[in-house]
Amino acid sequence: MKRFLRMSYLVASLGGLGFFAMSVLLLGVWPGRVLEHQIRATSPSQPLPLSASETRGRAVYAREGCAYCHTQQIRYLSRDVSRFGRATLAWETIFDYPQLWGTRRIGPDLSREAVARSSDWQLAHLYSPRNLVRDSVMPAFPWLFDGAPDRPRQEARDLLAYLETLGRDRALAAPEGEARARAACNCSDDEKRFAFGSPELNANPATTRRKGDHPKLTLVQNPQHGQDLYAHDCAGCHGVRGLGDGPGATGLHPRPVNFSERQYTLDRLSAALWNGVAGTAMPAWRDLSAEDLSALAQVVRGFYAAQPEPTLPKDVLDLGAQVYGAHCAQCHGDKGAGDGSAAEQFPVPPTNFQAQRPSIAASLRALRNGVEGTPMAPWTSQLSEAELSAAAYFVRGFFQADPAAVRQ
Amino acid sequence: MTGAAATPVFKPRVETRLVYAHGLAAIAVLLISLLFGFLASLQLVAPDSFGGMAWLSWGRLRYDHTQGIMLGWLANAFFAFLYHAVPILTGRPVTSGRLGLWLFGLWNFAIVLPGWILVLGGFSQPLEWAEFPLVIDVFVVVALVLAVIQFVPPFFSRELEDLYVSSWYVIGGLIFTLLAYPMGNFVPELIPGARGAAFSGLWIHDAVGLFVTPLALAIIYFVIPAATGRPIFSHFLSMLGFWLLFFLYPLNGTHHYVFSVIPMSAQIGAITASTLLGVDVILVVANLLLSLRGAGWFPRDIGLRFVSTATVLYLIVSIQGSVQAQMAVNQSVHFSDWVVGHSHLAMLGFASFAAAGGLIHVWQRLPSARSNPALFNVSYWLLLAGVVMMVSDLTIAGLVEAHFWGSAAPWIESVRAARPYWLIRSLSFFPIAAGFLALFAGLVTGERGDERRLQSGAELTAAHVAPRLSRAASEAS
Repeated sequence: MKRFLRMSYLVASLGGLGFFAMSVLLLGVWPGRVLEHQIRATSPSQPLPLSASETRGRAVYAREGCAYCHTQQIRYLSRDVSRFGRATLAWETIFDYPQLWGTRRIGPDLSREAVARSSDWQLAHLYSPRNLVRDSVMPAFPWLFDGAPDRPRQEARDLLAYLETLGRDRALAAPEGEARARAACNCSDDEKRFAFGSPELNANPATTRRKGDHPKLTLVQNPQHGQDLYAHDCAGCHGVRGLGDGPGATGLHPRPVNFSERQYTLDRLSAALWNGVAGTAMPAWRDLSAEDLSALAQVVRGFYAAQPEPTLPKDVLDLGAQVYGAHCAQCHGDKGAGDGSAAEQFPVPPTNFQAQRPSIAASLRALRNGVEGTPMAPWTSQLSEAELSAAAYFVRGFFQADPAAVRQ
Repeated sequence: MTGAAATPVFKPRVETRLVYAHGLAAIAVLLISLLFGFLASLQLVAPDSFGGMAWLSWGRLRYDHTQGIMLGWLANAFFAFLYHAVPILTGRPVTSGRLGLWLFGLWNFAIVLPGWILVLGGFSQPLEWAEFPLVIDVFVVVALVLAVIQFVPPFFSRELEDLYVSSWYVIGGLIFTLLAYPMGNFVPELIPGARGAAFSGLWIHDAVGLFVTPLALAIIYFVIPAATGRPIFSHFLSMLGFWLLFFLYPLNGTHHYVFSVIPMSAQIGAITASTLLGVDVILVVANLLLSLRGAGWFPRDIGLRFVSTATVLYLIVSIQGSVQAQMAVNQSVHFSDWVVGHSHLAMLGFASFAAAGGLIHVWQRLPSARSNPALFNVSYWLLLAGVVMMVSDLTIAGLVEAHFWGSAAPWIESVRAARPYWLIRSLSFFPIAAGFLALFAGLVTGERGDERRLQSGAELTAAHVAPRLSRAASEAS
């Protein structure tokens, strides 16, 4: 009996060690081999590895615990795919030593963060998150900066560089890479649906896009709802009174719009809200409903401080037209619709004057000083004072206000 | 062992100084780790409260909180317990008193303290339950080897079939931790991305399942017969539970990455193991509760009371674990505060109650150590209130977050909705901290132990946890 007991304990001890070995083999080594095979089959032939700066940025991300609130793993679930985009493929994390998947989401997943936000937004947000997102609980990282969001230290620049790699390789490989990976993926139909089925690789509702349909806005009855939304989502940058002077405005180039000096069509506001403004820090708000956006548009239009419009002598208008035709139309278009022949080359689309009308002061300021952070240059060295004012007045004439019923 | 008739028949040599040292270190480290956790939690309520100081930022405090709790508080408390229990379980002293000093020094002054400082200074590793930087991990592995040398050989001076179940948990816990620790801390640095994550998943669970749980169960299995004066209900069930636990625990890991790109068969295997683990825990806890029959839900012996509550919490947290591993549940609550609640139920509820019960039990049997049962009683109720408050709050918070994530609402609304719950969680610091302070005060005030009573206590304990040995000793006398 004693010998039998001793034998059984020996067997059980070896069995215990065997089970530990089995766990490592079955849940560590074997999945690794499957994944390795999958990576070989689905990866683009030469995914971009991290540069020196991006690698350093990754170390900052690791040491500050970013992965403990932000996952880098879109699960094979519709609730993940619809929020963040196509589910993460094994090859997307092959440069991660060690992995940064994360097991907690206080903030959103960052697997597709690369193109979602502008660089100046990212820096301003790292410097002081609540300046841009009022209800955020993200820690501020001022020690990565020299006292201002537009004065990043090397570490902040590295971190930004790293953030801009998240999802980059998969976006670069698309659409051929997606088709190839889909064909090669040894996965179930369900998994394929989550990994490739969604129309957007990056479903982040804040990702700006240059063009795209946007909802039709209507007039709303409840102004309070719009005020609340504006206070939470917009005032950080555009300021509580819409003067473009919110705490988050510092460090953003171009600066947030001052709504008091711009008149907008509803359509323009809808496009800016739904698609964001490409090349600027203005994100898209596709996670808000059409009613929300309508309410916001109403608040924004309410900030416009209308002034009596002067009637201008014909010769001033003629001079304006002449200057505009000679210097402005290439970008802003013959009819001021922002669709000039050169418009497409710019990261920031030129202003469409049919959809927005700047005040005379704003218009003159842009002509004299240029608009920082955009291709719009100062014109004082090329144009005389008279020509500048004439052009400033002239562009305002393109505006096509909404029909009275909509304008209220 | 063959003592003369005039001297006590069974006098295992306990390294008293080391019990003291580890016990007090455990409490000191615990209080600091609690503070780390509290300061981190405050930043979810008032994010700018520390003026953007790097070393007080959320990420770094959180790393130090969990590493401090596991490697500082629990490990020190376990070591204190082992210095008391191993000699009683084996009838032999531990390998070496001097080795014990090395282990103590290494553990606290080459691992916990420098680990904390390095993390606050920005040197760390972004892997859960493995946040101390690699250089510290080297010391941990060395120290784990020392711990195995210190505590395991005495068991092998005896016949295996004589070993009480606590012995098995000690041997298994120490050896399996030594195997699992390097896997969790080094492998993901060498194997990238998804492939490395598979190993991280294993370690996340092994840290809890192969280190914390076995040693906490060793305490529970030890204290119950020692304090009730009755043997464990069924030695057979104890051993069955032990082996099933060691078979099933390692296979749970991948349940941290359900619906990920890790092959579905591995995920399903881990979920199956997680389910079965719940069954095993029912078996273990049933045996423990049957052993406690007659002692009541809140036993008068305060060490036993902590331990019996740990047993109940162990059952709850394990069944919760089985439930949340299921795909239907996991898809909503994963990534949410539900899981944070779960881990606090495990580490603060189950493991810390067991460790505190073990510490009190050991302390009351330490010659010349003071102990104050009234303060322990206060500590018990405060801690129980704190745990219930925190865990129920976080569980509800997790459900709220899951609700928002499953809707079309903007992400920030889930943050907004969670904030009141985060405030309550921060407030739960106060009963918990007061409870542990009372525990500390209870260990340094009150009456000193009585040597003679201690001796008869050790004999009584040995009669239940090392029956053959104590019988042999009394026959020899």
